[in-house]
Amino acid sequence: MNLEPAQLAFFAEADELLTRMEESLLGLESDPDNHELIDEIFRAAHTIKGTAGVFGFDDVVHFTHEVESLLDRIRDGRMAVTAAAIGLLLRSKDHIGALVRAVAEKSELDAGDVREGGELMAALLDLLGRKAPAAGDSIVESAAPELVREAGGDDCVSTGNWHLSLRFGSDVLRSGMDPLSFLRFLGTLGDIVHLHAVCDALPAWSQLDPESCYLGFEIDFRSEASKSDIEAVFEFVRDDCVIHIIPPYARVSEYLDVIRALPEDDLKIGEILVLSGALTRAELERGLVRQLDVGQPGERVAQTQPLGEILVEDGSVNAGVVDAALVKQKQVKDAKAQEARSLRIDADKLDHLIELVGELVIASAGVQNISQTLANIPLSEASEVLLRLVNDVRDQALSLRMVQIGATFQRFQRVVRDVSRELGKDIELVINGAETELDKTVVEHIGDPLMHLVRNAMDHGIEQTDVRLARGKPARARLTLGARHEAGGIVIVVADDGGGLNREKIRSKAIERGLISADAQLSEREIDRLIFAPGFSTADQVSNLSGRGVGMDVVRRNIEALRGTVEIHTVPGQGTTLGIRLPLTLAIIDGFLIGVGSTTFVLPVGVIVECVELAGGQRSLARARGYLDMRGEVLPLLWLRDAFDMQGEAPTRRENVVIVKFGQTRMGIVVDQLMGEHQTVIRPLGKLFQALRGVSGSTILGSGEIALILDVAGLLQLAGRNEHQLQAGAAVRALAEGDGVPTTTA
Amino acid sequence: MAKTIMVVDDSSSLRQVVSLALKSAGYDVFEAADGKDALSKLTGQKVHLVVSDVNMPNMDGITFVKEMRKLPAYRFTPVIMLTTENQEAKKAEGQAAGAKAWMVKPFKPEQMLMAVSKLCLP
Repeated sequence: MNLEPAQLAFFAEADELLTRMEESLLGLESDPDNHELIDEIFRAAHTIKGTAGVFGFDDVVHFTHEVESLLDRIRDGRMAVTAAAIGLLLRSKDHIGALVRAVAEKSELDAGDVREGGELMAALLDLLGRKAPAAGDSIVESAAPELVREAGGDDCVSTGNWHLSLRFGSDVLRSGMDPLSFLRFLGTLGDIVHLHAVCDALPAWSQLDPESCYLGFEIDFRSEASKSDIEAVFEFVRDDCVIHIIPPYARVSEYLDVIRALPEDDLKIGEILVLSGALTRAELERGLVRQLDVGQPGERVAQTQPLGEILVEDGSVNAGVVDAALVKQKQVKDAKAQEARSLRIDADKLDHLIELVGELVIASAGVQNISQTLANIPLSEASEVLLRLVNDVRDQALSLRMVQIGATFQRFQRVVRDVSRELGKDIELVINGAETELDKTVVEHIGDPLMHLVRNAMDHGIEQTDVRLARGKPARARLTLGARHEAGGIVIVVADDGGGLNREKIRSKAIERGLISADAQLSEREIDRLIFAPGFSTADQVSNLSGRGVGMDVVRRNIEALRGTVEIHTVPGQGTTLGIRLPLTLAIIDGFLIGVGSTTFVLPVGVIVECVELAGGQRSLARARGYLDMRGEVLPLLWLRDAFDMQGEAPTRRENVVIVKFGQTRMGIVVDQLMGEHQTVIRPLGKLFQALRGVSGSTILGSGEIALILDVAGLLQLAGRNEHQLQAGAAVRALAEGDGVPTTTA
Repeated sequence: MAKTIMVVDDSSSLRQVVSLALKSAGYDVFEAADGKDALSKLTGQKVHLVVSDVNMPNMDGITFVKEMRKLPAYRFTPVIMLTTENQEAKKAEGQAAGAKAWMVKPFKPEQMLMAVSKLCLP
């Protein structure tokens, strides 16, 4: 394992800490009561000791430990900050620097430094009220000294030792807990390489209570046990004792590996550390309690110290491990933000690609055409393979244009919030099917119509809060935006739980506006659809939100421009649902070829339910009635030849009926012949023909001929017109003519 | 010389399980049925560790620990208290009486052995 980079980081860090220590010591000379400075000095020594321990730089640890003990006394006020003490600490700081440098340069201390170290150690122990180790009465070495040398002197790197720092509570003996028994048990988990008894807490002999425990231990421990196993040894005294367990570097790198290998879950920093084994549950709890305590005295939560910092200060965990955990946390967040690997592509390039794929589809259809005419078996087999691949390419290319509608829906959160405030209503937006995908062009163009519908629903659909309460509804209204796939298309739903449409009001308004005659007989659906008529508005007050009187008409036209339709479903008193039905894509569809005379038309396969033959007596009966008895149901028929006013006679033997379904409506389209499926690349009609009803586009067939793509919604309206002429003709004619759409120019 | 452990519990089956586990690990074990019984058995022999239940007839575990601590020979003897659930109030009372180590029943024999080993190796 390569410890080099981490060690280099430590050397730099130690340098920095020592510089800061020096500055603070010098500052302390003029300001001996400055606790912040004392804390700063203590922290520096503490950090150096802890980190050096991780690397097994035992010389640094042992010397710094004594310095830390002295600083601890100063910090607790048990020792005064004298000029002598500062002088000693400055010299000690230099010596720590020398020790670190020696390790960094892999060299021995020179004789001068060794002498200085001995003198400083003696002076420190003297100040601490202890004798130099030479006397040997206050320092217990449980393991053979040779072992210590070996561990410490082994090029300072290989020591895979844990370092345990234990300070027992004074009551442990009285509750039957013998520190020695824990150390013995610790011995069963591994080897106690070096043990140093810490007697700093011993009072003067006269004040010593023989039943109290004053002991602490610094232990170098070699073991394969985990940190929590080691901590569990002291489980019964954990509450009364201060226990720091510093893992060996080998362990640290193991923790780092585990942290990096953790699954990309959204974890808290403490959880990551516990999972990696670097931190025990007990340490985490202690850290969290400290975090709360620190935050409490009148300070705002924003002042709370980060948990990672607290844990490092407590010595529970190594700063490098915390950093790794933070990096992991950030990675997870970044990954979340990025969602999936993605590539940004210029939309024009994509459009061009799809155009080319369209040409490819047409060309391959041409090849297939020729191979069929030639009746060459190897050629038609090859062209079948080609066709299948081209279809796959087409699907893939089209899927590139697919985007989720969720982002469009999300924008409405803000709109709903703002508008509901403006209107003084309490409205909640619920989003369904945000992951539904549809063509980017459709998504781009659906925003405006949706905006109209959402505002309309909030303004006119949802009642004022008091009205809602009076009707026994929850005060908080619900507006739903949803999307789902259905029958080869996509349906976007805008639903509210408001009052529903007031059909009486719509009717009288429509009469007032001259849209229908006063005696027109309209079905409920027809009344509902009147709100899409041009120049219709029923709002009592024209608000600046939706009541411009053009809204729903514009909405309908925008949607129809996308080859879509709007349906409205309302239940008085319970709410209104608007369903926008859109094609999945605007570029290529699976088409079905039908022929009338010598002209070929294309119907989208998605709308076709079935095809039946129309022959014999049934044919004349259907012709006379205008509908077909389809398994007991009335199926209105539309003769395409009549609808488009085409020349020529129908074939004598039989005709075919293509049954299409659109939304809730079924209709039979009567054609001369059925010609099978065809990959249809949609070519928009020129501007001149865009208002054409019943035709939505054109395509080029394999033979090079041009075929018109039938717009089923338009055809249904054409068929419906015939119906209405029988029923309430005048009314609907007004509606249709209001649009100014020529219907028979094809 | 093997260490001696006294197991105090009113359930004889629990005493047996604990005894068996401890004996197999090399401890000498003797049993007592309640606090009173335990106190009477303390005199005359050296006990290195006590495992005691809290809720027992005649004398409960906490009273027993308090009484035991009054005996000079047992002032520093480690005690492991057994409870059925984590009763914080009881635990505080027990700790004040001088019982720091607590174990929640049910436990596996190995867990008991582990806890005992931390305080007193055989």
